[in-house]
Amino acid sequence: MAEKAILYDATRCTACRGCQAACKQWNETDEVIPTEENGVEAHNRGSYENPPKLTANTWLRIGFTEVERNGKVDWLFTRHACMHCTEASCEQVCPTGAISHQDGIVIIDQEWCIGCGYCVQACPFHVPHKDEVLGTARKCTLCTTPGLNRLDEGWETACVKTCPTDALIMGDRSTLLAEGKRRVSALKANGYSNAYLYGENELGGLHVLYVLDDSPEVYGLPESPRVAISTSVGQWLSGIITAGVVAALPFWFLFRRKQQMEAKEESTVEGGTR
Amino acid sequence: MSWGAPIWIYLWMAGMAGGGYLAAFVAERFSGESNGRLLRLATYLGIPLAIIGVILLIVDLGTPIWFWHLFTQFKVESPMSMGTWILLIWVILAVVMVMLWWIKLRVGEGLAKMIGQLTSLIGWVNVIFAILLITYTGVLLAVSSQSLWAGTVMLPTLFVASAVSTGVAIVVLAAIAVNSIHNRGVVELQLVLDWLFGTKEWTIPNKWVTRLAEADAIVIVMELAALIGYVIWMAVSTMAGAGEALKQLTVGNAALAVPFWLGVVLLALLIPLFLDIRNRGKAIETRTGWLTIVTSSTCVVLGGLVLRAIMTIGGQL
Repeated sequence: MAEKAILYDATRCTACRGCQAACKQWNETDEVIPTEENGVEAHNRGSYENPPKLTANTWLRIGFTEVERNGKVDWLFTRHACMHCTEASCEQVCPTGAISHQDGIVIIDQEWCIGCGYCVQACPFHVPHKDEVLGTARKCTLCTTPGLNRLDEGWETACVKTCPTDALIMGDRSTLLAEGKRRVSALKANGYSNAYLYGENELGGLHVLYVLDDSPEVYGLPESPRVAISTSVGQWLSGIITAGVVAALPFWFLFRRKQQMEAKEESTVEGGTR
Repeated sequence: MSWGAPIWIYLWMAGMAGGGYLAAFVAERFSGESNGRLLRLATYLGIPLAIIGVILLIVDLGTPIWFWHLFTQFKVESPMSMGTWILLIWVILAVVMVMLWWIKLRVGEGLAKMIGQLTSLIGWVNVIFAILLITYTGVLLAVSSQSLWAGTVMLPTLFVASAVSTGVAIVVLAAIAVNSIHNRGVVELQLVLDWLFGTKEWTIPNKWVTRLAEADAIVIVMELAALIGYVIWMAVSTMAGAGEALKQLTVGNAALAVPFWLGVVLLALLIPLFLDIRNRGKAIETRTGWLTIVTSSTCVVLGGLVLRAIMTIGGQL
């Protein structure tokens, strides 16, 4: 099967957040909605962003950013969810092999995950979260959750299906790459010189591509994300070398050198009194 | 916060287990007059520390009953997978060493010699695993996308230095404790130690305790250097968010500044260093000398816990 991907065009997104609702509805990741009946209170966080962050039950959210560009304030929207990286840090560090790639989609096997939380720490986009009730790490499955698999039916993901402005489209990654490049060229031709196709090369290629009219940083996306294990060799070496030095020097000095010096002094004293 | 108290307590305990073993091993090897008691003491301390740490780790899992899934993989790129195996092997070898020590006392001379050689060989192998164990406690955090952990390669350096320092300190405290049991004639505990060591000879010479404490002072200086190196590297790190993450520890009104300056810089490093320097030349037999070594070692042990705590918490802020 050709690798599937999603193309998110930030210039088309109106932040209606229909994708958020569709995601929760399809994947049955509802959260408690504040009502008078259940006594849960709503809090004003001083932002239109809602929910404020990704959680084990919120797999997709639209982020809001205010930036000053060319003397005016722009309100930018960004999709935050699993990027389905080719070089996926979560998969690499997962100690049980519960995280795997299937046709470019990064899946956490809920039957094998032990909830150690390492993927939570390793993801450069801070996507997976540990579900304290279920005890496993959860995130977007690109609508391939067993029993709720839309892709097997030949359907688009719930978020793509519901998007009213076609800011989200789904297809073969190669096709979407070409489409994304075309859109970025059009943006550049219209004066958006920083326009960028995010995800083409980042982390070996993401399976969520972003058409941005400015640099990724402006949109709150990491400029050059790196895989968590990229510094592994250096990290292991720094520790091992330190262990060698810390164990050798002080203990050699006190348990070999000083002991020899003391023994010498004792023999000198003995020699003197003889 | 995904990783809470069980994780930082575990990192501290595993560090002390491996660090104490490593220190006792090299001290005995460098000294020509070793009788093996210090290594045995460090091993007896390390096994429960490591096992309690593992229990904490398992309890902290989302699905503790599935912890055995860890043993179905051997993933070199995953520090947690490597750590699982390193810890398992270190504990098994340590237990085997203890068993061989016991067997050695109960067999004939020829066999005892062979067992002695085998124990020595396992001791060498396990020192490698002790080094890997204390390194892994730092690498586990450092191989991540959290700026405070991954911003430099100095975190394992810092954690290893701290592991050896806390390891020596806990061995010093244990040595002082067993010597006190002997000197004060606490019969019940003496019987326990007689049984554990298989002989009535289990005291650690005061000269050795003093030397260990002196060695810890040098390790503390190295740890201080590692901390300074870590801070400087973080300040100039190219990783996004590293500078801000560092400020969480160092800037006056930041969330973790008080535990960093009081708990790590003062408690783990400067206070014990000051005490150790002031104590130079004073015999442990004197009340001041004894009290200073106990206070200094306790500060090191507690400061090591604060270091693990603020690093683990700080990385996830």
